[in-house]
Amino acid sequence: MRSDAFSKYHPLTNFVFFLGAIGFAVVIQHPAYIGASCVGGALYLLLLKGRKCRNMLLGMLPLVVLMAAWNPLFNTYGEHVLFTVFGRPYTLEALCYGMAIAGIFAAMMLWFSCYSAVLTSDKFICLFGKLIPALSLLIVMVLRMIPNLVRRGKQILDARKSIGKGVGENNSLKQKLHGGMQVLSALTDWALEGSIVTADSMRARGYGTARPTSFRLYHMTLQDWALLAWMVLLAALVIAAGGTGAEYTPQIDIPRPGWGFIAYCLYLMIPSLLHGKEAVQWAVSISRI
Amino acid sequence: MKRSVCINLFTWLILIPLTLFLGTRLTGRWYYLTSTLVIIEAMLPFFFSFETRKPQARELVTIAVLCALAVASRVVVLIPNFKPTTAIIMLSGIALGPEAGFVTGAVTAFASNFFFSQGPWTPWQMMGYGFGGFFAGVIFAKRRAWRNPAGLALFGFFTILLVVGPLLDCCTLFTTGSRLSWSYAAAVFIAGFPYNLQHALACGATMLVFGKPLLAKLDRLIVKYGMMDARKEG
Amino acid sequence: MGCLDIQNLTFEYSTGREPSLRDVSLTIGKGEYVVLCGPSGSGKTTLLRHLKTMLTPYGKRSGAVYLDGTPLERMTQKDQAAKIGFVMQNPEDQIVTDKVWHELAFGLECLGVDPKAMRLRVAEMASYFGIQSWFQRDVASLSGGQKQLLNLASIMAMQPQILILDEPTSQLDPIAASDFMNTVKKINLELGTTILITEHRLEDIYHRADRVVVMDQGRILANDTPRKVGQLLWRQDHPMFAALPAPLRAYYQAGERGEGPITVREGRDWLTGTFENRPVTIPEPARGEKTFPEKDPALKAKGLWFRYEKDGPDVLQDLSVTVPRGSLFAIVGGNGEGKSTTLKAFCGVCKPYRGKIEIFGRPLREYKADRLYKNCVAMLPQDPKSLFVKSTVLEDLREMCREPEKIEAVARTCNIVPLLDANPQDLSGGEQQRAALAKVLLTEPKLLLLDEPTKGLDSMFKKQLADILRALQARDVTIVMVSHDVEFCAEYADLVSMFFGGQILTTDTPRRFFGQNSFYTTAASRMSRCIFRNAVTAEDVAELYLANLEGRS
Repeated sequence: MRSDAFSKYHPLTNFVFFLGAIGFAVVIQHPAYIGASCVGGALYLLLLKGRKCRNMLLGMLPLVVLMAAWNPLFNTYGEHVLFTVFGRPYTLEALCYGMAIAGIFAAMMLWFSCYSAVLTSDKFICLFGKLIPALSLLIVMVLRMIPNLVRRGKQILDARKSIGKGVGENNSLKQKLHGGMQVLSALTDWALEGSIVTADSMRARGYGTARPTSFRLYHMTLQDWALLAWMVLLAALVIAAGGTGAEYTPQIDIPRPGWGFIAYCLYLMIPSLLHGKEAVQWAVSISRI
Repeated sequence: MKRSVCINLFTWLILIPLTLFLGTRLTGRWYYLTSTLVIIEAMLPFFFSFETRKPQARELVTIAVLCALAVASRVVVLIPNFKPTTAIIMLSGIALGPEAGFVTGAVTAFASNFFFSQGPWTPWQMMGYGFGGFFAGVIFAKRRAWRNPAGLALFGFFTILLVVGPLLDCCTLFTTGSRLSWSYAAAVFIAGFPYNLQHALACGATMLVFGKPLLAKLDRLIVKYGMMDARKEG
Repeated sequence: MGCLDIQNLTFEYSTGREPSLRDVSLTIGKGEYVVLCGPSGSGKTTLLRHLKTMLTPYGKRSGAVYLDGTPLERMTQKDQAAKIGFVMQNPEDQIVTDKVWHELAFGLECLGVDPKAMRLRVAEMASYFGIQSWFQRDVASLSGGQKQLLNLASIMAMQPQILILDEPTSQLDPIAASDFMNTVKKINLELGTTILITEHRLEDIYHRADRVVVMDQGRILANDTPRKVGQLLWRQDHPMFAALPAPLRAYYQAGERGEGPITVREGRDWLTGTFENRPVTIPEPARGEKTFPEKDPALKAKGLWFRYEKDGPDVLQDLSVTVPRGSLFAIVGGNGEGKSTTLKAFCGVCKPYRGKIEIFGRPLREYKADRLYKNCVAMLPQDPKSLFVKSTVLEDLREMCREPEKIEAVARTCNIVPLLDANPQDLSGGEQQRAALAKVLLTEPKLLLLDEPTKGLDSMFKKQLADILRALQARDVTIVMVSHDVEFCAEYADLVSMFFGGQILTTDTPRRFFGQNSFYTTAASRMSRCIFRNAVTAEDVAELYLANLEGRS
């Protein structure tokens, strides 16, 4: 991943931000707000991943269009009938509502993608390790084992291929299933046998002998607190200003966006602005050399 | 034991009804937020009792291995769209008990999304998979006689087709719909049916072929290393 | 008083399974470096596991173990966890968490060390072991050597008084193994930590040890300085003699009786001392080496290019090689991706994007899969466990072939008849290797490919493997082997090739190959090169030594 200023903040700061961004995105139906959320999410995702996210963005487009078009089929409220499908009216209002829903869906997906890129597993553990120690240890162990098992699975596939027991393209489904199960079985043996060693290693290092503490890789700094306060303030403004509701059916009724909208935009731009600021500072400091 | 009963009662009798009550007060699309919150709250008692039990190293590692296997199995069995994942979760519930089965399912869903992407579906997947493991444990954990391949396969097939699949479809329903209506719900479930059927077939087939062997392997491990004794001591 | 005191420890497994311990008494002083060795199944691991109660196997036991005068049973689990560090054999399975930093901190977390102190200790350990640069990395991205170093570091972070290592380098390549051993010695010298280590590759650690303890059949056979133990093993004609460093073996095989040389330098001093005033009349080993006809080779590869990913680096770069029929052909070379890939290319698992492979005169791509792996080519993978899919060895063999006579014959060849009903997972490393070989042999290959067949095997299992390979060669099977084990290649291979930078550089007979190399060669060759030419095994050196002495007198 690229260097990103917001990702360097404490996991708590990151988490609270995404909680707000995704929470607002889910609930608010106002088209301007939805648009802002989509733009903010897409911008930050682009800054995070660069061209790599192009496929994801392009792949999402038809889905969103489809969703907008498909929704009015099940929502017949509305005054302006465009045409009828299967004897049911397809209304302009319902189409607008469908577009709004598709927008919400898109915003949610975008922010979740950003969330996945920023809140890596170790940040999650840092946040919840204290609250759910056993589960977070379990998650960490699973994350460690998955790459191992995938690699071993490939090893087994190769090994079986080299003695003529490989599963290829031209085998029947039954053969593939049987072959796959054989590999799965071998992999299970291997993994379970290894698990004994892992358990011994844990016990040898004192697992379960004392009340565990946790190593903290991240620390809340003054900057974190400041950003957190700023985020909470903006979020409070968004809620206090109101005017986020919008009605589509049976009649379109959209309030004019007020200063709450500005607060919302500022909130969503936080990570992108931080990213931009860092890039500028870096460019300036390089040019001084 | 007492405390976990309290937590269960609290969740089901107070927390979830309260969420539902408050949720309906919201305007607009209250149902996605509310339903997701309810799903998360419903998982809390399981997690709480797992945490307070302070699982032993061997139990923890065994659950971890089964979770990792459930994720990795998608890579190993080279048939497109064929996911033995849920079958492995159910077998974990059968061998280690309903609660461990639930944890296996929930953690599998959560951890695998670190490799794909977390999304609005994460809590639903956790609940769906977790329920699969839990339910399998409830039915089979104490009934060794019922564990024949056909029984396991039928159980897997129908649980996925009728419970886990539709539960995952609910997530689609709540995230993509503009208005809750029976016709829209029917459309989502019908659209999801072929996928669920495929999933159910994969689960059933895995249970049929792999169910008994995996249970035997786990039993062997439990006997060989006295895992159950360790649990009783702890 | 010693740091660790074992008194009359007797143990029997509840399952009645060997190995057990019989009246073992051993004292290890503070800061000592003790090597524990013995044949497989002599009870080494069982003994080590008694030094930490949470790892002790179930069974009947009498006797006691004391740490600093306190019996282990009376120490709390927490105390034991902190004071007794235990590093196991498999680098991968010992790691619990997914990040390097978390693994380093794991033990301290379990012991409930306060976060501030923990930060400092973790930072300290990371710098001491040179882990800073990969501190934040995923464990999955580390090499085997790095993983084992991480295991060591995360144990050392708990500041143990005594460090117990159970065959820690058996899964590593020689360079990583020697790095690891250097680190262990550094810990011993600089931190004063007591070390108790088992290992079957004694070459790297024998000269570092203060004391060597030899176990056999659950008893302590010898407990003395490395030199004295060498002498004793020679006198008793013990099978463990074969595991000793080459200088010692050459010394005793040449008929000397005193305390022998244990390093290459001492070995060279012994040779130069003897031949200072004597001319060397027979400078080269006389034994002839087999020659192979150049016509119709078993395998011929020309200009192979291969890479795993479209934009990845080329793993094979213009690789060409010819393997004569009936030979045992070894490919040696540094660690890195390439040697195993070469074998995979030879058996069609990897498809080179350029180049030609001919097997028994016919292009590889013309073979149908069912023809290629029947009676033609087969490969034994690096980890024999990859081949086991059933719950007994016999069932696994039946997967390949239904005829009981054939299975029996192969089982006899591979010396696994008593193991047929066992679960393959319960076998020892050497037994697994032979069972997997049996499975591969049931395809009745004419060309057998072996990937690191001696990894993790002790000297006796290596000898057994060599015997099996010889028997196969006698049946006109051509064998291509990839290995780090220069000693094994020098002793048993017919031809040796050097693999470097994606291609095969030179091919020669082991004597000339190792005789010419000055780094990548056997200890025997390094120690004798100033006196003899092309003496690459301890036997070569001893033979020449005797021949030259007799020639004079």
